[in-house]
Amino acid sequence: MKFSVFQVSRKGGRAKNEDRMGYCYTRESGLFVLADGMGGHPEGEVAAQLALQTVAALYQREARPLVKDVKTFLASAVMSAHHQIMRYAGNKAMLDTPRTTIVAAVLQGTTATWVHCGDSRLYVVRDGELLTRTRDHSHAERPRPNVTDPLINRNLLLTCLGSPTTPLFEVSAPLALQQGDRIMLCSDGLWGVMDDAQIVRTLSSRQVSDAAPELVELALRRGGNHGDNVTMIALEWETPDAPGSERGVSTDSISDGVFASTIQAGMPADGEIDDLDDDAIERSIAEINEAIRRSAERKS
Amino acid sequence: MSKVKPSPLLPDTVIGGYRVVRRLSAGGFGVVYLAVDPSGQQVAIKEYLPSSLATRGVGELAPLVPPEKLSLYRLGLKSFFEEGRSLAQISHASVVSVLNFFRENETVYMVMNYLEGATLQDFIVTARDLKKQKVFRESTIRSLFDEILRGLRIVHQHKMLHLDIKPANIFVTDDDRAVMIDFGAAREVLSKEGNFIRPMYTPGFAAPEMYRRDSSMGPWTDIYAIGACIYACMQGYPPNDAPQRIEKDRLGLSLSRLRGIYSDNLIEVVEWCMSLDPLSRPQSVFALQKELSREGERRYTKLSIGEKMRLSLDNMRSFEKKGLPKAPAPTTRPV
Repeated sequence: MKFSVFQVSRKGGRAKNEDRMGYCYTRESGLFVLADGMGGHPEGEVAAQLALQTVAALYQREARPLVKDVKTFLASAVMSAHHQIMRYAGNKAMLDTPRTTIVAAVLQGTTATWVHCGDSRLYVVRDGELLTRTRDHSHAERPRPNVTDPLINRNLLLTCLGSPTTPLFEVSAPLALQQGDRIMLCSDGLWGVMDDAQIVRTLSSRQVSDAAPELVELALRRGGNHGDNVTMIALEWETPDAPGSERGVSTDSISDGVFASTIQAGMPADGEIDDLDDDAIERSIAEINEAIRRSAERKS
Repeated sequence: MSKVKPSPLLPDTVIGGYRVVRRLSAGGFGVVYLAVDPSGQQVAIKEYLPSSLATRGVGELAPLVPPEKLSLYRLGLKSFFEEGRSLAQISHASVVSVLNFFRENETVYMVMNYLEGATLQDFIVTARDLKKQKVFRESTIRSLFDEILRGLRIVHQHKMLHLDIKPANIFVTDDDRAVMIDFGAAREVLSKEGNFIRPMYTPGFAAPEMYRRDSSMGPWTDIYAIGACIYACMQGYPPNDAPQRIEKDRLGLSLSRLRGIYSDNLIEVVEWCMSLDPLSRPQSVFALQKELSREGERRYTKLSIGEKMRLSLDNMRSFEKKGLPKAPAPTTRPV
């Protein structure tokens, strides 16, 4: 498998950058993930970071070197990320929970499959045209009969990770990739200030290592002094290296059983991956009984 | 898939050293049994057995989960653990306590205190049937909710929302303690179609934001339900449900009937808790406790002539409509 990839995250006009992004790959599979921590709730950047780390850690465990069932993996990874955030908030006894959107794609063989929750997007561009993109879980992009109301607040999300309401998310059907296909994951700081046509045009104008930073610069300029964080990962599928350009990633270069990642490894909090195999069930029960014992001690 | 509910364990089945006496209740998430431990102590045991995902024949022990439902079954199990984990950290007289948690029969069990007494719902029904002017005395209401709020405050501190507070989930023990019950089942229910988990709600007690699927729930959502419970303790009946109120809000009118019977302050507290706008309610249990525990002379404002006329008009109108007494509010669970 071979791809060129470019990722960048910029703070824009905000006090802090609550967006997170990263990718990792094995010899035969790649994961790309982006999360946009939500303002209006505490510690958005923590929610985004937890989401990234959880998904990456589960991927590392599952991708050996292929992820056996990509759709199931994506669904359970997103739910685990949600639970990790809730656990984090619980451990800190926070009055309000940190929240984040997420979009994640797995590429392996010749297909791409993705999941998203909230309004971080994935675009697929083929031959200079928009092939498909995700539909946000927002009031603005909720399917409805009359879509003409201009007053809809695009910032109002229907779902996210970290809310007491269990998240809604969508897993795509696998998409067969062709050489030269471009896939971009981005936060609303990017898509919110330009239209799809412009995104597609810019993205397909040059090789991704040039097109991607240009898109981000454009978004930052448009966002202005108070603009949102702008974050994106763009990749191009199976394109031979152009002379003089940076070489793309060839997963063939890493050996079996090895895992490369731009996402800081290690699981948050107690280091537990939230997938319930037998060990995890036993561990949960032991933890609960330990908590019961401690509570009883406090009482007496 | 058959729609037959999984069978509960039979009396005298022994699980984890406890002997099942009888089934106490069953919900979407599982079954609760009365059981006794080896020393003869009574306990309540909750078994994880989601009726939409698992089957079990009469007299069998282990539930059967079809392979295609296994991942959802495990997802639900996680919620069951979350409930146990949260309750285990809470040690408060007003919150049902967990004594043990164990795995057997390829599922898991949560052992809780067995409470003897009756639910607040039972008390309300009994009291209102006496047809007195007051359902409960104001001092009773205040001290009852003072206890509940102490527990709820701890619950919120542990980053948990109850989300199904209602008189049927408030237990009044024979030794006069108020205890909140039914946590996990209250929070999330596995939907049958299977892709996600839907919240459930009880009409009358569920805040408007619970009907929307957005992320605006918080302590104020439970506080709405507390307001509705106080309302039920004053009126004898649950308030109108939130969608009805959004269409035409008659809360102020119904509460004005109670003027002169209950103090202005208590009536105002209910109105405050039940504001349709989440931000207009007490934002924390602490804020509500402060208001509810305010000592001082209770003021009672009599109705004006105009208000009396409006009420009697409304009485006539509702008399025409109302043929039957309202049944206690059912819990709506997505089937």
